[in-house]
Amino acid sequence: MAMTADSGLAGKVAIVTGGSRGIGRAIVELLAAEGADVTLFYRDQVAAAREVVAAARSAGASVGSEQVDVRNSKACAAAVDRVAERAGRIDILVNNAGMIRDNQLAAMDDEDVSLVLDTNVGGVFNVTRAVVPHMIVQRAGKIINLSSVAGEKGGRGQTNYAASKGAVNAFTRALAVELAPRKITVNCVAPGVIETEMSQAVRDMAGDTVKSRILLKRYGKPEEVAYAVWFLASRYADYVTGQVIGVDGGFKME
Amino acid sequence: MVVLKWNNEWSNEWNNEWNNEWSEFMTQTEVTKDEIMAVYPKVAETMADALGCDVEDVKLDVSLIEGLDAESIDFLDMVFRLERTFKIKIPRGKIVENARGDLPEAEFEQKGIVTEKGMAQLRSYLSEIPAERFKTPMKVADIPRLFTPETFCKLVVHAQREAQPAA
Repeated sequence: MAMTADSGLAGKVAIVTGGSRGIGRAIVELLAAEGADVTLFYRDQVAAAREVVAAARSAGASVGSEQVDVRNSKACAAAVDRVAERAGRIDILVNNAGMIRDNQLAAMDDEDVSLVLDTNVGGVFNVTRAVVPHMIVQRAGKIINLSSVAGEKGGRGQTNYAASKGAVNAFTRALAVELAPRKITVNCVAPGVIETEMSQAVRDMAGDTVKSRILLKRYGKPEEVAYAVWFLASRYADYVTGQVIGVDGGFKME
Repeated sequence: MVVLKWNNEWSNEWNNEWNNEWSEFMTQTEVTKDEIMAVYPKVAETMADALGCDVEDVKLDVSLIEGLDAESIDFLDMVFRLERTFKIKIPRGKIVENARGDLPEAEFEQKGIVTEKGMAQLRSYLSEIPAERFKTPMKVADIPRLFTPETFCKLVVHAQREAQPAA
């Protein structure tokens, strides 16, 4: 079989949560550049979301946005239905929205725990539950969850975040089993330390220690994560499901 | 013949896919044969699409699981498609629990087997299903094996009534 360079993403309808900044923005931009019809979900970064949409549109891409707090299941269902209503289908879901609230366990307050778990785990449930019916009827779909190296190798102060990402990995594997009969694939991309606002504090505080554990001795860039998502969303990954793909420069545990 | 994996997991899954509104739904004024036949052609077409079978095979009284090899995900698929086709909302949730009606759980089933009282309850709840299919002992997890296209026609008629209350 001849290999071609057509990802098959042109015209595909995608939702990317947490799409206004960081890794999410890079994913939105890459999928849109490939010709996908992308709707980004954002919670409160109105200006950033507008900027992403405007930039993509001026480049001729098809990008829209919905202001949704992924912790709110009704809001998620309504936003997903609006996308499906407008576009007629949903081919790709990228669950990217995530929060960190690092602290030592004993010093964490209730909100540090609930905010991270409700967003990173609850949000994945809420959006995916709303999207899956459309994919089941279509007998096709690609779900890509953004996990983290912390899901397997959590560090100090990351119990909440590590637990949430471990849950995302487990969710991914179980949902892959459930949806395989409908040819829907479910995979994770697990980034290491990527140059985003979210990881700024970690890089500032423990940069040298962190870098010493990365085989490639540098941080990742948002687009390097986006390429893995691109692969999993493309037709090249039709035979990949239930996997967690690390994009972490070779991260070693302490 | 596809051998289906059949266990309690299924029943749990099933339970979660429906909700309490179902019982209200199914115990309203009885659905007439005319009402069923009015929706049946479209229901059959929709179910054939979901199951990937010929529409002629979707007989009104065929067991979806025994006769048409439906699996749990197919039931969800059928519900989603029926909702779209008929522009209705079909409640999801605890069908088996609701089939129980007012019977306490302990009287409906014992160790996963439906009791005699429970069987009577089921027969009236799923009145469209031929009596000989209610084989005893029946496992709770096997209740969905009883469902037929007619069960879903009733569901659609009830949902239509909900959407357009009788004048």
